[in-house]
This record gives sequence, C-alpha cells and structure tokens, in this order.
Amino acid sequence: MTIYVLRKLAFFVGAVLVASLAIFLLIRGAGGNVAAIVLGKDATADAINALAHTYGLDRPLPVQYVDWIMNMLSGDLGQSFRTKESVADLVTDRLSVSVPLALSGLLLGLIIAIPVGTYAARNVGRPSGALLALLSQIGVAVPVFWAGILLSVLFGVRLGWLPTGGWTDWTADPVGAVRSLVLPVLSLGLIMAAVLIRYIRSAVLDVMNQDYVRTARAVGMTRTQALLQVGLRNALLPIVTIVGLQIAELIGGTVIIEMVFSLPGLSRMILANVAAREVIVVQSTVMLIIVFVIFVNFVVDLLYGILDPRIRNSA
Amino acid sequence: MPKLIAMQPKRLGAIAAATIMLAAFGGAEALAASPRATENKMILVARQDPGTLDYVTSNLTALRLWIPSNVVEPLVYFEKDGTVTPGVAESWTISDDRLTYVFTIREAKFSNGAPLTVEDVIYSLNTMKSSPVLQNSAAYNAVTAIEKVDDRTVKVTLSRPSQAFWAGMGSTAGLIQPEAAAGSIATDPIGTGPYKLVKYTTNSAFEFTANPEYWGPAPAIKDVTVRIVTDGTAGLNALEAGEVDAIPVNTIDLWEQLVKREFDKKFTLVTDPQIGEPTYAVINQKIDPELRQAIAGTLDRQAYNDAFGAAWGAENTCTFALPNQPWYQPENAESCPYPYDLEGAMKTILEKGFNTLPLEYASLSDVPDLSLPADIMVPTLQAAGLNVTRNAIDLARYSQLIFQGRPPQFDITVMSGDAEPGQWSCPTPDKAGWSTYCSADYTDALAQADVATSDEEYLALMQKAADILRKDAVIVPLIAKKGVGLFDVDLKGFTEPKVAVAVELRALHW
Repeated sequence: MTIYVLRKLAFFVGAVLVASLAIFLLIRGAGGNVAAIVLGKDATADAINALAHTYGLDRPLPVQYVDWIMNMLSGDLGQSFRTKESVADLVTDRLSVSVPLALSGLLLGLIIAIPVGTYAARNVGRPSGALLALLSQIGVAVPVFWAGILLSVLFGVRLGWLPTGGWTDWTADPVGAVRSLVLPVLSLGLIMAAVLIRYIRSAVLDVMNQDYVRTARAVGMTRTQALLQVGLRNALLPIVTIVGLQIAELIGGTVIIEMVFSLPGLSRMILANVAAREVIVVQSTVMLIIVFVIFVNFVVDLLYGILDPRIRNSA
Repeated sequence: MPKLIAMQPKRLGAIAAATIMLAAFGGAEALAASPRATENKMILVARQDPGTLDYVTSNLTALRLWIPSNVVEPLVYFEKDGTVTPGVAESWTISDDRLTYVFTIREAKFSNGAPLTVEDVIYSLNTMKSSPVLQNSAAYNAVTAIEKVDDRTVKVTLSRPSQAFWAGMGSTAGLIQPEAAAGSIATDPIGTGPYKLVKYTTNSAFEFTANPEYWGPAPAIKDVTVRIVTDGTAGLNALEAGEVDAIPVNTIDLWEQLVKREFDKKFTLVTDPQIGEPTYAVINQKIDPELRQAIAGTLDRQAYNDAFGAAWGAENTCTFALPNQPWYQPENAESCPYPYDLEGAMKTILEKGFNTLPLEYASLSDVPDLSLPADIMVPTLQAAGLNVTRNAIDLARYSQLIFQGRPPQFDITVMSGDAEPGQWSCPTPDKAGWSTYCSADYTDALAQADVATSDEEYLALMQKAADILRKDAVIVPLIAKKGVGLFDVDLKGFTEPKVAVAVELRALHW
C-alpha cells in the first residue's frame, strides 16, 4: 500500500507541474493583454507598453513563469492588475458561494441518485424501472442552463417563492444566502442526479448479475441483503469514479449556473478575468482548481485501493 | 381508514402540484408595489461588470454609468438646456478671450470626511490631463497651466480657446478626487457626490448609501444596490418577480424580449439618446474608395433597425452622432451620400472586379450588440458578390489585432460606442487612431470647431466635419441606438445624464 500511495503522490506532483505550465502557456497564447483592455481603443502603443511594464508583463515569459510558481509556493497567489486586490481574497470570497453550491448540488444529486438508481436496477424490465431509466435519460439531455431558467421562471417569477437570482452574503443575511442557493442547487442537483442514476443503475445491475451475488441468494439471502452485504463494495468502484469526476467538474464548472442565477462564484470570476486577460488571477485560480481536481483524483485512487485489494496488491 | 391515510399524501401532492401549475402558468398578475419603496431603498440592475472603478485609466461604460456624478463629481454640470450649474466649483469666471478659467472651489467634504482642497482639485485635473484615456486627456490639449490662486481658487490657463476643455470640466475629464485616496480608486473611489460607495464586489454588486457629507440636498432614496446581472433574461426575470426596481440600461439583445413579454406595458419604459450609442461599420481606409462606397450601398439600415425588434429603440442615420447632438441628422437623401442600393453595389463590384478580392470581416464575438449586425452584414456582403470571411474574436484579441494592431488587421468591422467625433481625427502622438482613418480636412474642421468662440460657429464646423466623414465611407453609421430603461411604475424622476452616460441616482424617488 505504501508503494501504491508513493506512486500516486509522485503522479500528483508531476501532474501539478505539467498543469501549471499548460495553464501559463494557454492564457499567454490567447493573445491580447490586460493593459490594452484597461486603456481602450484609443490608447497609444506607448501607453499600453508603459502600463504593461507596470504590471510586469514585459518580462521574458520564463521569468514570469518562475516568478509566479515561486510566489505560489510561498503562498502568494498574486494580485489583480486592475484592482490590486489579492487573488487569495478574491478566491476566498468566491468560495463562500461556490463551495456550498457545489457540495449541496452533489449531495442532492447523491441523495436522489443512490436510491433511485438502485431501485431502477432492481426493477429492470418492469414499467417503473423503465420509466426511471427514461426520466434519467431525459435529465441527462436537459442542459443545465435550461433547467435553471425554467426553475427561475417557475419558482421566482411566477410563484415568487424564491429569488430568481442574485446573491445575499452569508454575513449580511444567512437565511437570504440559503434562499439564494436553493434554485441553483436544485438545478445542479437534479441534472447531476440524472447522470448519477444511470451510472448507479448500471453498476448495481452489473453486480447483481455476478456469480457471488447469485451464490449469496442461493444460501438464503434476500436480494437486498445480497446487494448490501456482498455486492455493494464492488458496485461502489464505478460510482466513486464518477462522483470524483463530478466533484472536480463542480468546483470550476458551475459557470452556467452562476451566470443564470447571477451568483458571484469562482467560475464566473474566472470567466470574467479570462476575458480581461487578468493573467495572474486566472493562472492562480485555475491552478488552485487543478490542484484540487488532481487531489480528488488522488483520493479516488486511494479509495480504489481500499475498496479493491486487487488494485492495491497489483501496485 | 388505512386506505384513506395511504391516499392522503397522493391527494396532497396532486393539490400542491395543481396549485403550482395554476400559479406558474396562469395569467400574469398585477405587479405589487415594491417593498423597497417603504424602506427608502432601491435595487437596480447593471448588465456589465467594469472590473475596475478607476475612471482615470478606464472609460468602460459599465463604470461610467455608476461612479461619475453619483460618487465623484466634476467641477461643473451642463444642463440639458445648455446652462452651466455648479458642481465641485461653486462659481467660475471665463476671460473674454476664453484663455483663462478661474474656479472657486466650494467649502465641502469628500465622502470619507476629508475636506475638499484646492490641492485636490489641482491633483485631479493634472491626473486627468495625463490620463491614458483619450476622452479625459483630450480636454486638456490647450491647457498650459493649472495653478493655485488661494485656498479656494484654481486658475487654468489655455494656449487657445477650447470647446473641449470647457465641455470636459462637466464630464469625466473634470472629476475631482482626493489625492490621499488615489491609491484605492480601483475599488473605492471617493468624491463629493450625493452617494458614497459602500462596497463593490466584482461580478456581484455595487452598494451605495447617501453621502452624509454631501453639500447639496440629500438624495430621496438613501440606499441603492446595483446588482450585476450579466444574463439579460435573468435581469428581466428579476424585474418581473419584483426583486429589483429598474434596469436603467437594456442592451439591444433584449429589446425584442421587452416587447414580446410586454415589459413596455408593465413598467415605465424610458428612451434616452444620452445613454445611447451609434452603431457603425468601419471600412479600412486602405480599401479602394469605390469599393468602400459600394459596401456602404449594401447597408440596409432599416433591416438592422428591424432586427432589434423595437421601433422605439433606434433611428436610422448616416451621421456619426446621437439625436441629442446638434449636428445629428436622421437618414435622408440629403444626409446619406451612399443610400441603400444593393443592385447598384453589385454592379460596381462586378464591373470593377472587386468580387475576387478577399476581405475579412472582424466580428467582436462577446458583445451581443455587435453580433446581430454581423449576422446581417456578412451574408449581405456575400450576396452582393464580395468574397468576405467572418473572423469572430473576443474583446482581448480584437484589441490586440485591431485597436493596437499596426496596421490594424481588418477590412470591415462593426462597432458601437461613444459618439465622440474627435476619435476619428488623424492619429497624434497622444492618440492611436485604430480605425486607420485620417482625413486632414476632417481633422482641420474639428480643430477649427474646438477654437470656435460662438455656438453657431461651432455647430457649422461640426456639421462640416460630419459631412466630410460620411462622404469618405470609412466610418459608415447605421443606426443611433437610444438608451432604453425599464423602471418600476412607482419609481419616478429619471433624468437624462449630465455627466457622460451616468445614471443619476439622486434624481430617482418613490
């Protein structure tokens, strides 16, 4: 197990380094710079160059890269060129929106998907199983922004039960903050549940057809007992994989929901800063997300090892 | 009994679902009065986030809508009828030769409690004089000295009369800030205006409250939140749900929706040229003049206007101006040297062999106001026989290739923005001139207009400049868009902005 963990750790460090270089080159390769955007269409090249010099954007790229990495390693994520706000503060502010949104969406998705996916698998071939499979297929096909708009129109505009969008800060009004998150979480959670139901249904079906489950049934266990006591551990492997991927996607990938509901989350911040070529804000924030994603994958890999001794022993 | 109990949740569910469906899809109800009316508050919607509030180095409309006149004031205000009223300066004198301006600064405090001093005024004017934003620095082209006379008086000396200087003192070029707070201008601009900025959260909101130090009457509404809602439909939904009280500036991508969803009937709809913008084609001056004229002839202005779906939103024009500028003319035979004539244009294109020339249409993809014209123009140009390809790029790349490209990498593009005619004068060391356009006659006409000493002379010279511009078929105006605002019917008092495009919060009241 130790060798397995060390190998995964080495992969984690390597992946972070490669990702840092990739994100640095991608944002620089997109063209344009923040100085030109700030100064507008009538600015002279001299004025733009002077501002770019103030921002340190005229230094050689390798120098900028090393400088950025060294600052990151010392805990300094840099600051916005335009507002001088620290990236750490910007990210912290946005995480107070993005983390509850992502985690609640995931939790809602799991709460719906695990029982429904299992039920659909146990009732395969029956009308109720087919109906759930159909509904989850429809859910997968529905774009999240469309779900968001529909929910906003229904519960916000027509019924007036919840805000159509916008954000109330936790410190100003915690209840208001929760109300701001209800519809975005519903939109995310329902669509995620539709995706997860299909995976869970498939994983459970797969396990239920295995010989060891059949053997368990033969020795007198009920279907539920056989599934929970013998099949669950094997069914968890693909589920852990897809949940790991969904967590990674949720942290930086909620941009559409944040746009539809006007939430000041991390994804929307990144999008705005890409458009403005705020390279330090984008690099540092995306780097944090990449580290998080790789870390989640690392945890998923460790879970594989715990759940399946064959994986850990083969390493 | 057990059967009854088992059925109850189903019945309850059915009743709840029916209630929801009825409420959701039933007829629209009359809008209730805003709860903010009794709380002395209002919530407005902004469509764009400026990213920075530093008005010295940025002239983004998203910034100019909220900060000037509300938080930071200019020296003077120009009223709609042409009169000049006090701002930071409580009085002023102008010498007969229009070369010396003496401003008496009022006894007042900034919103952070610091006293307004002559030194702050001199610092602010000098800062704007060296601003990288042309609209700010251009006002100071004739200024030779900015001096302190005494603790309440500042003298500005000019080398020649300048209309631009005086106009600038009532616009962003004349905004006054405290020198001591200049370092935080990007997130917390300070001024003497009726409101102070409590908090600005990028991509989220501006929060204003009445400035207790304000020298004038307190604004009617104490607390104002401007929620940044970049998705237009989300903004309209919030207005319809009563969560916000107004969307003072609606971009054209929403106009059709405003009509279809009857927002123009449920809310007070205000059209205003001051917050408007001209939309115009720019044809690279390197292109053969006959081809430029033929391209101008393919532009059916009514088609662009119709595409926006709201008759009240825009006027067809061939003049680079807005209807509130005195040299403006709507589209007519006299003011349009190259009216819509597709057949004539096609004939010229074929006869002169322009159909073989590859042309690139640079399309700014992340600005909805400009995607729609591109959707119409590119197929029309292709139908006219031109070999045009569309290059869709985002603002940062557009800035790099076109605004700062030397030479700019485009043949045709469509822009929307300031109606400031000075942006098309020939490039100078202070100004880039991205459009490639340079006409000595046009530049001279503007320079003569700037030194005009009477309104009549100024107007005649501006009309002359506008005529030169349209005949050159480089800057080809299509429509003059008006600002379109939607307000809760109980929210009154919207007035045309005095400082650039700023939405004057002080004037609004329940």
